[in-house]
Amino acid sequence: MEGIELCYASAGTLSRLVQSKEVSPVDIIDAHLARIEATEPMLNSFITLLPEEARAAARRAEREIQSGNYRGPLHGIPVALKDLFNTGGVRTTSGSRIFDNFVPERDCTVAARFHQAGAILLGKLNMHQFAYGPTGENPDYGHMHNPWDLELITGGSSGGSGSAAAAGQCTITTGSDTGGSIRIPAALCGIVGLKPTYGLVSRYGLTPLSWSLDHPGPMVRTVEDAALSMNVIAGYDPNDAASARVEVPDYTTALTGDVRGLRIGVVREYFEAPLDPEVERAVREAIGVLESLGAEVTEVSFPMFNDSQAISGAILMAEAAAYHRDLLATDGDKLYPPVRVRLEAGLFVSAADYLRAQQARSLFDRQARELLEQVDLLAGPTEPVTAPALLAERVQAGEYQIGTTGALTQYTRPYNLTGFPAISAPCGFSEAGLPMALQLAGRPFDELTVLRAAHAYEQATEWSSRRPPI
Amino acid sequence: MPQEISLSREAFLFLAAEAGLDVNSPHMDELYPYAENALAGLRSLHNIDVSGTEPDMAFQPSPPASEKA
Repeated sequence: MEGIELCYASAGTLSRLVQSKEVSPVDIIDAHLARIEATEPMLNSFITLLPEEARAAARRAEREIQSGNYRGPLHGIPVALKDLFNTGGVRTTSGSRIFDNFVPERDCTVAARFHQAGAILLGKLNMHQFAYGPTGENPDYGHMHNPWDLELITGGSSGGSGSAAAAGQCTITTGSDTGGSIRIPAALCGIVGLKPTYGLVSRYGLTPLSWSLDHPGPMVRTVEDAALSMNVIAGYDPNDAASARVEVPDYTTALTGDVRGLRIGVVREYFEAPLDPEVERAVREAIGVLESLGAEVTEVSFPMFNDSQAISGAILMAEAAAYHRDLLATDGDKLYPPVRVRLEAGLFVSAADYLRAQQARSLFDRQARELLEQVDLLAGPTEPVTAPALLAERVQAGEYQIGTTGALTQYTRPYNLTGFPAISAPCGFSEAGLPMALQLAGRPFDELTVLRAAHAYEQATEWSSRRPPI
Repeated sequence: MPQEISLSREAFLFLAAEAGLDVNSPHMDELYPYAENALAGLRSLHNIDVSGTEPDMAFQPSPPASEKA
């Protein structure tokens, strides 16, 4: 295996080749750097590239493996982190020129765990400024572009992660998800994005957007790679006040392909919301595939779904404004204007309304948990539309024309409120050749079931093998 | 009875000053309608009956009962 095949191979495949010494980490890194050089002018996935550091790390990994010190499946595998994950000695901008020269002293927990596992950092990924937007706009470092159509958005906020993984620039990328920022670009770029349970992956060393809604997680091309990533990054971290003390399983044990008897609830309200008929058809067909594999599919009702935008909006606005309040006063005029006003508007959410939203969140969570006593997973679309045009303020979703931000987050925000694990997996391509995605959500800390169903579906279809035309 | 989440221009300027924003900046003319509109999007919060419910302040999902020690 060589060249672009190395770039599109999964971490699972590469790790088997590395362990058997059929492929060197040096070859893998060189292939990816060449791929980045060829595609980056079109995609703008990266804010910072680390070619020399990556080559040096690859040579070290090669020596370690040759001498019998193989660390595990991510040893020698390329990884890139959204540029709000602190990396010791490597600048971390959070997508803003204000932090162009900010070089953290130490790694965030996720970066440290990848490093310990032998993964090789290729660079830091472009993102919507301060992660506050679902489209992947960033005038400071350039807007991100969708590998399936360069005129379209990647989605955000982890847009560079979506485009880098989809275009074979990197094997494993990470995102953070506050209202959908892992799952949105995963869906629009045709990759797999897993938002783990709140507290399962440490937020330590990440620039916050909303403390109670932020979830870091993997963005990759296969479900196996999501499981391999989780094996490294999941687990208790005393540095994160919200970190959960739970036992962490081997997530690859979920990759059985067997969904017989799994109870999947199709949420009726998801299909009553604005939704492109082409996406609806693809998602219903995907659920049909899971049923044909032996899952038991039933329709369920989640009435509070319709309240999710207001509840999460109040919490997100207030928490984001609280975190960025000082910055707004000193450097507000240096922010991307749409991000600036979005942050500033949160200053006007009253404490009473913030607390009312948290009360409503309790009710929302209770209703969602009751649903997951009836079924094992909740299923629906990740996105109501395929990737919109860059800077489009409104999108057409079925018979409705709605605001882009509201549309892109309508199905993702509910699981930031509950903290449930939710995965986005490709489930087809539109007539225009754009990816569409299925979202599956499970019980808290039951990533195994979420991964099991997504993997079974992936294995039964061919969507993950498609490559963008770039 | 549902309450409106609304923001008068006077209250907006008072809160903006409290937050350290420059209330004499022309930017306020852009921010005020944006903030008004954003708050309007939260009005439906007051249609949710939250009586008897505590706010979810120490939010952390617990494992399924079957996994508890």
